[in-house]
Amino acid sequence: MATRSSSRPLGDRFYQLSTGRGEFWQSLRIDPPLVLSLFCLAAYGLLVLFSASGENVGDVQRQAAAIVVAFVVMTAVAQLEVDFFRRGAPLMFVGGLVVLGVVLAIGSEVNGAKAWLDLPGLPSFQPSELEKFLVPMMLAWYMSTRSLPPKFKDLVVCGVIILIPAVLILLQNDTGTALMVIMSGVFTVLLAGISWKIVFAGITAVLAASPAWYIFLAQPHQKNRILTFFDPYRDPTGAGYNIIQSQIAIGSGGVQGKGWLNGAQSQLDFIPESNTDFILAVLAEEFGLLGVLFLIFLYLLVLGRGFYIALTAQDTFSRLLAGSIVLTFFFYAFVNMAMVSGLMPVVGLPLPLVSKGGTSIVTLLIGFGILMSIQTHKRVLPR
Amino acid sequence: MAEKFKLNDHERETLIFTGRMIVAGILVLLLLACLASWMAYLQIYRYEYFAARSDGNRLHSQYVSPNRGLIYDRNGVLLADNRPIFNLTVVRETATNLDVSLDLLRSVINLSDDDIEQYRTRQSRRAVPHTSVPLRYQLSEEEIAAIAVNQHMLPGFAVEAQLVRHYPFADMSAHAIGYVSEINKEELEAMSPEQAENYRGTHQIGKTGIEKTYEDMLHGTVGYETVEKNNRGQVMRVLDRTDPVPGRDIVLHLDSRLQAAAERALGERRGAVVAIDPATGGVLAMVSKPGYDPNLFVTGISRDQLTELNRSGHTPLFNRAIASRVPGSTIKPFIGLAGLYNGVITPETVIGDPGYFRLQGRSRPYYDWTWWVDKSGHGAIDLRRAIYQSCNTYFYQLAVDLGIDKIHDYLLTFGFGQNLAIDIPEASVGIVPSEAWKRENRNEPWYVGETPYEGIGNGIFQATTLQMASAAAAIANHGVIRQPRLLKGTIGSDGEITDVIFEDTAASRQLLPSQEQVELVRNAMVDVVNKPYDPNNRRHEGSAYPVLRESGRPLPYPMGGKSGTAQVVEFRVDSAGNRDESEVDERFRTHAMFIAFDASEKSRIAVAVFVENGGGGGSVAFPVAREVLDAYLLPEGEHYPEVSLAAYDAVDELDHDHDHDH
Repeated sequence: MATRSSSRPLGDRFYQLSTGRGEFWQSLRIDPPLVLSLFCLAAYGLLVLFSASGENVGDVQRQAAAIVVAFVVMTAVAQLEVDFFRRGAPLMFVGGLVVLGVVLAIGSEVNGAKAWLDLPGLPSFQPSELEKFLVPMMLAWYMSTRSLPPKFKDLVVCGVIILIPAVLILLQNDTGTALMVIMSGVFTVLLAGISWKIVFAGITAVLAASPAWYIFLAQPHQKNRILTFFDPYRDPTGAGYNIIQSQIAIGSGGVQGKGWLNGAQSQLDFIPESNTDFILAVLAEEFGLLGVLFLIFLYLLVLGRGFYIALTAQDTFSRLLAGSIVLTFFFYAFVNMAMVSGLMPVVGLPLPLVSKGGTSIVTLLIGFGILMSIQTHKRVLPR
Repeated sequence: MAEKFKLNDHERETLIFTGRMIVAGILVLLLLACLASWMAYLQIYRYEYFAARSDGNRLHSQYVSPNRGLIYDRNGVLLADNRPIFNLTVVRETATNLDVSLDLLRSVINLSDDDIEQYRTRQSRRAVPHTSVPLRYQLSEEEIAAIAVNQHMLPGFAVEAQLVRHYPFADMSAHAIGYVSEINKEELEAMSPEQAENYRGTHQIGKTGIEKTYEDMLHGTVGYETVEKNNRGQVMRVLDRTDPVPGRDIVLHLDSRLQAAAERALGERRGAVVAIDPATGGVLAMVSKPGYDPNLFVTGISRDQLTELNRSGHTPLFNRAIASRVPGSTIKPFIGLAGLYNGVITPETVIGDPGYFRLQGRSRPYYDWTWWVDKSGHGAIDLRRAIYQSCNTYFYQLAVDLGIDKIHDYLLTFGFGQNLAIDIPEASVGIVPSEAWKRENRNEPWYVGETPYEGIGNGIFQATTLQMASAAAAIANHGVIRQPRLLKGTIGSDGEITDVIFEDTAASRQLLPSQEQVELVRNAMVDVVNKPYDPNNRRHEGSAYPVLRESGRPLPYPMGGKSGTAQVVEFRVDSAGNRDESEVDERFRTHAMFIAFDASEKSRIAVAVFVENGGGGGSVAFPVAREVLDAYLLPEGEHYPEVSLAAYDAVDELDHDHDHDH
């Protein structure tokens, strides 16, 4: 931090943005394009939620409050130096594992997953959610101490870093989150430049192993989901009901949609989980293809800014972390949308920033807070 | 930190990362493009399909059943109305856990296996998907409450109000009005497509009696509504509605007071009473005993209830009023008319009755009833006395002189051997034998020896109580017969009653002797009841007169009639010719018959009474006929007090109709 040079007289440590206003936002550690696009997404989500919850003002108010809290948390996280994350990564990672262990011991069960921690005086939360940042952070820290691309030995270490929390989360019976944590780790490793040979070998291995998994390891409800994916009509009133009704809602929305609050499928309760995992069906029914494309556009704005931040980040740690957060966010949104529209088997994931649920929004925005920290704590490189 | 950087590494790492990010970015764009295309496929290419599916989810056409027309008697008394009941119904498509729900219901309401079995039958017959099917009818208030409490555990189940048929008089008029009950598969299959469409919202259909005959009029036209239902099958909105057209209200000739009186007069005995207005042919009363409660059938009779109904062995469901049997001596006036018409006899024709009849050249005697009393006969006897004394010998002779085919041809014109009734299609036609009939049906020639029995109504000839009443009404109406009918008129939406005019062709086909001769027979029937005992002329009193005298109640109105006793089985009579009816098993006792009419110039009522295994026509059936005439002809409140039947039994020995001789 000692050496620096700048063409500007007050050329302090900050990366210069194009305008003076930019400088102002930077001093607040806020990245306006990111915040703006996230805000648009959240507002759009509230609109859909109002309809999906059956015009329940209480639900919308709670969600709006969660969004406000999440934005505050995001801004707070953005105030932290990147170095804080870098140096703290191992400690936070270990701490995360300890909390996961505690959850396994004393956590409370919701929807079959023992993933929630009820601490007196605090809203109950899901520590496993944080692993989506802690794992990439740990990996980014580890790899920033090596030279890229990672060598085989490094990959083994990375594998261990990913698998320990993943196994703990699987033990909590929370497959969806475990999958996301694994993916966030995999994205970090991929971005770190792991050789394509290994990537393809890995993909091949997964493909080859999946029949064995299906036959020997998959639980009945998992098999059921996969069978239902291939043919929802094998049990149209049971397992296939959700996806059938959801597709009917989406398809019947047409190009322009049936209009806000006018979706027959949504308003007459044909869509299950219509305000959480399946909220996209409501959106697609009421706002049509145009509404869906607008949603994808808003996601693209967030992703685009995230890509920009990752690409312009100044060091390996920041890059890997930012890239992984952005890709995880994409993965999240994509899996939900693909699942609701019948492109993928059903996995229990909410649509980021749209589905009802405060925890999901807060954890997502913690991720974006890290992104903003990376963006706004840039140092001007020595020339 | 800067000292850690090796510039080459740094640039290389940036390059690797940037490369990877570009690959990732391309993948992201590709995947999102895939997703957008898939969405476009669903929302544009398959829009029609999913839009239809969505409408199919929420839009349901329901049929709205029309209210069934009401049935009134001639005085405006309701004989059949509609009453709201609350039913537990199931929509199979939304009842996700039928068996669990049924188990739960069994514990909170009265739901038998029989109910469930009947429900499954109904379910299998249901034509329109997503419509409700009744599971239990007539829920009590407690049951409705119990269901409401558990509603959240009973998806697809609902309590629905429904108007169903109700017969306020229950047993009293069951056989005349009939009943409605659940439509069965055969009935549905027999319908034309349009008809079946009209019954989509209807659960019940007329099964017997008026309910069946006038089903088309009473049913009305089904209505439709398009409703929006939510996921749980609740109706959220009615989007479109075509009101049903209710069935026509109808008025019958039936007089419920007379019906009640006739029922009372029969008491606990099995039998039938039919009363007819001679001028119109309108059926004033049609009673068959024992009766049954038609309300039991409306929502489906349970097996137990049906067993209970049949347990008596008295076949309450069997309509005795329209079942045929040998009429006994009640046929004699008509044989007499046949003789007059064919010129075989005149009113002055006199025969000698030694107490029996013999066919020319044969030795076998056909006995008169007097033979069994004192081995005497009626001596010289003409038609009028032969009728009021119920002389068998006269009618043996007359029947033989006429020959079976002339008897056949003549009796047909009085409505025998056919169902003359306009709107009682279930009625038996009876049997009017002829030579041709016997060859065809029994594959035997007609034997002359059979003919005498046809003269006294104890041969092959059979008639229903309805036919006898109609024939009696024809005589009361001075020879002009009207086709019996139940329907009097219909009520328009303005409440106006429009009389129904039926084309009545019976009278034009009728064969009658001169008016004087018809009056002679009519007067002879008045004598049956009224001609008093004459100490100077033995066997010159009316055959029913002793019963009238013993009753101690003189007739306040002119009445004509004729008794009849029909044997059930052939008796071998002891050498003394004595048979004691009281010793005979009740089932084998003779049937008692009586036809009667108001003998005023303008006759207002004619009646036929049949008492199954009742004994003698004069002693048993005559008092019943009188009760019925009293009830109709006397002003209300002036009826004679009911007389115990024991009083009639005392004069049983005076019954003159015992004409068994083989």
